[in-house]
Amino acid sequence: MIEVESLRKIFRGGRGLDGFSLQLETGELVGLVGPNGAGKTTLIKILSTLLPPDSGVTRVAGQDVRSDPRRVRAAVGYLPDVAGVYQDMRIREFLEFFADAFRLKEPNRSAAIERALTRAGLADRPEDFVEHLSLGWKQRLLLAKTLLHEPKLLLLDEPATGLDPLARITLREQLKQLHTEGVAILISSHILSDLEDICTRIVFIADGKNVSEAHLSAAEGSAAPTIRCEVEFEGSASAVDPFLKQPVNVRVLEKRDRLLVIELTGGPKEASAFLQKLLAAGILITHFDARGLNLEDRYRRAFGKQTR
Amino acid sequence: MIRLVTNPMILKELRQRLRERRAWLLPTLYLLVLAGTVSFAYYGSTDPEMRGNQGEVQGADIGEVIFLTVVITQMVVLLLMAPVFSAGSLTIEKEQRTFSGLLTSLLTAPQIWWGKFVAALLYLLLLLFSALPFLSLSLAFGGVDPGELLKAVGSTVLVLASICAVGLWCSSMFRRSVHSTAACYGFVLVLSIVTAVVFGILVSQWESHNPMLRGEGPPAHIQAPLFINPFYPLLALLGGGSFGQFSYPVSSWLLFTAIGCLAAAFAMQRIQRSGDQL
Repeated sequence: MIEVESLRKIFRGGRGLDGFSLQLETGELVGLVGPNGAGKTTLIKILSTLLPPDSGVTRVAGQDVRSDPRRVRAAVGYLPDVAGVYQDMRIREFLEFFADAFRLKEPNRSAAIERALTRAGLADRPEDFVEHLSLGWKQRLLLAKTLLHEPKLLLLDEPATGLDPLARITLREQLKQLHTEGVAILISSHILSDLEDICTRIVFIADGKNVSEAHLSAAEGSAAPTIRCEVEFEGSASAVDPFLKQPVNVRVLEKRDRLLVIELTGGPKEASAFLQKLLAAGILITHFDARGLNLEDRYRRAFGKQTR
Repeated sequence: MIRLVTNPMILKELRQRLRERRAWLLPTLYLLVLAGTVSFAYYGSTDPEMRGNQGEVQGADIGEVIFLTVVITQMVVLLLMAPVFSAGSLTIEKEQRTFSGLLTSLLTAPQIWWGKFVAALLYLLLLLFSALPFLSLSLAFGGVDPGELLKAVGSTVLVLASICAVGLWCSSMFRRSVHSTAACYGFVLVLSIVTAVVFGILVSQWESHNPMLRGEGPPAHIQAPLFINPFYPLLALLGGGSFGQFSYPVSSWLLFTAIGCLAAAFAMQRIQRSGDQL
């Protein structure tokens, strides 16, 4: 659905994209993660035909964004980070305008508008003015508007900006639903827990380039996979000391009375072996949680040392 | 051809414009200004003291004075309003963050431009045609024939269309309405005042070198700066009286058409590349 190869876009003041590559298949829901100024918005703007790339391959739904932008627009639904609405229009008028802007003809046009009203949860108030909607409802209307022409690919740039928790949950559910309907989605967001919940894959970007996690691990001196273990136990912190010295594949992240957080080289098997050693030594374990690094940990490892 | 009329931008723009408070406020003020100036013109042309006791007043004289007053006044007022309606129409989309929605839809840059242009011009035409009763008053007095009235209205429409096109160009160039509107007013000022000043300088030099030709009026190359003055085609069309020396309305129309077409082309090109302004 998206084919980006060695994409470059340099602005006068610097930054942009510098050889970024990305493949996104039909049905994927990919999260784009990186610090501010990494090039996320630039990438999404190029994919939505708002910005022309300087060089590289950029295809969306099989069409080159430079040579055939209209076909790309027909296949893409784009929701910018701060999207505006026409405050002085009624909800139905707003949707009718964009249905006409996407050249929808009857009877598809009316069906698409009704579908959008239902999707936004605004079917019972189509004659209300847009300005009377809260930010959360406006975002729902904007997403419904973005889906009017049934795009194959959805490009979302920070769609949860400014939304309250309930609106965020609703948006997440809507995106999950769209994903099950087969819409490919590329979403940029700083809300990592949301991305972790809905995305099938995460792509890291920094300084306009791809950031591979294997590369990050190597940079930290370990290319092997790790697992994070959280252990709660009875007794003083010194009780677990012997197990932290041997074997050497243990890295202590946090240690205090009754709590130990470590990172083990390996996977569930190594975590289980570690737990068994503690139990065998007679330490009373009240809680043991072993899982791979979550997105926040991965993000911290990827960008924690960057100062921008 | 049908697309020019069924363009969704036109309906959207007109709907939004007519929902603004100024939709009824501006025509009211506009008609009040015209009513005031017509009353003053009528009083001035009938009051013996103001006329300097030049004998009995003729109906045709009153009609001519009212006609000239209305066409010049409405040109002044509409020239002041044209930048407000045109120069802010694209920048407001940028300010309200709605422009990306238009640019990523299947609307083309010419369609976006055309919708904005027609909406701005139609509103000015609403004002222009609401003043027709004042103009027809001059027909009732005599001294003006319907042909002159049509020419004056046509010329005003052409000049306003050009100014709207320039306003949209300014709007496509800037991010903020205040900047694009200021730029458009600057342009109108150059056309209206600077050209008149340049003409004044040229004509005084010409008269000092050709004192014998003073009665015949300045030649075309001296009048040339005025060809892009919004008032020139009106004064040239109306002819006679002190404006008899302005005799090149067609050149002026052609120049205004060229200005409008160039501004439209530049604006459409800029709209296409507006992604970097979002």
